[in-house]
Amino acid sequence: MITAEQKPISEIRGMIKPYRRILVLGCASCVAECAAGGQKETAMLASTLRMKAKMENEDVAIEEYTLDRQCVNDFVVRLDDIIDKYDAVLSLACGAGVQAVAEMYQEIPIIPALNTEFLGETRAQGLWVENCLGCGDCILYYFGGVCPLARCSKQLFNGPCGGSVNGKCEINREVPCAWQTIIDRLAKFGALDRLETIYPPKNWAKKQGGGPRKIVREDQEK
Amino acid sequence: MPEKYKQTLALFYCQNVPESDEANRQLLEKEYGKQIRLFPLPCSGRLEPFHLLRALEEFADAAYLIACPEGACRYFEGNKRAQKRVQRTREIISGIGLEKERVGIVIRSADNPRTLAELAWEILEKISGIDPSPVLKRANG
Repeated sequence: MITAEQKPISEIRGMIKPYRRILVLGCASCVAECAAGGQKETAMLASTLRMKAKMENEDVAIEEYTLDRQCVNDFVVRLDDIIDKYDAVLSLACGAGVQAVAEMYQEIPIIPALNTEFLGETRAQGLWVENCLGCGDCILYYFGGVCPLARCSKQLFNGPCGGSVNGKCEINREVPCAWQTIIDRLAKFGALDRLETIYPPKNWAKKQGGGPRKIVREDQEK
Repeated sequence: MPEKYKQTLALFYCQNVPESDEANRQLLEKEYGKQIRLFPLPCSGRLEPFHLLRALEEFADAAYLIACPEGACRYFEGNKRAQKRVQRTREIISGIGLEKERVGIVIRSADNPRTLAELAWEILEKISGIDPSPVLKRANG
């Protein structure tokens, strides 16, 4: 899922300052799972902004609403009935959701309340980790299900480097060495021979080389 | 001489607090009038930061939670979660210039069990020094 964190309240206040009727818009999907932009967080942010506005004697109306998903137009259209009441939308979606809403309602500023972070795994309650860069050419098979691009600090394809000590990375002794993890995993199912191959540098053409990426599936179209 | 300002309190509490049944709740609200609003919870872990924020936004000078003693939560860790949520709320209100003291948690003592009425009185005493909330626009300022 996509992970995100709320921007500092001062930054959010700065962005919404020119507007008087603001819709705080939550997204009940990925950002709800990572406790950044779901219904609860939307209520918290809207309440916080209203309180600050009252403290500053600002004449502003701040209301809240949460869509199931902001990155899917079929859900975004639900705003049709209410959007005219507002002169700005403060979106608690990821960057994809913010832009999907902005694409649909071009006359209204859609302001991001979150910083979108990474494709995350929920490792434990309150802990999300980055294990995938979305490179467009998955190599997990060769490396025992551990991505050296996302999890090795140096993104080495032929590791480990000399900074691996007792299974930890030299950048921080709390960070597991991805290459130690790769070797351990491959050894467990008898596939260490996959490391006899010398892997060439990553070809990034499938990630950003061709500009913004898109997927077209004619069988899925209406 | 002007009457001493009476701070308004939103008080959330776990229903395992002694003498916190519905009859006692109504008695307390009758005694304190608009100064206190009581919100029973099945467990303090049910509390979310937006409950506290909404109380501060709409009517309360302070919002507090009464939770069970450590290790005595019926649902094992509801009181631990509640402590973290209260702390988070304190950070949020501090970020907009409200005093952290407007939000708090009282962990009940296992050795010295007190009733809801006793705890409510103690919390009202505790907040008696805070100024009227700048969030609330009252007729008397």
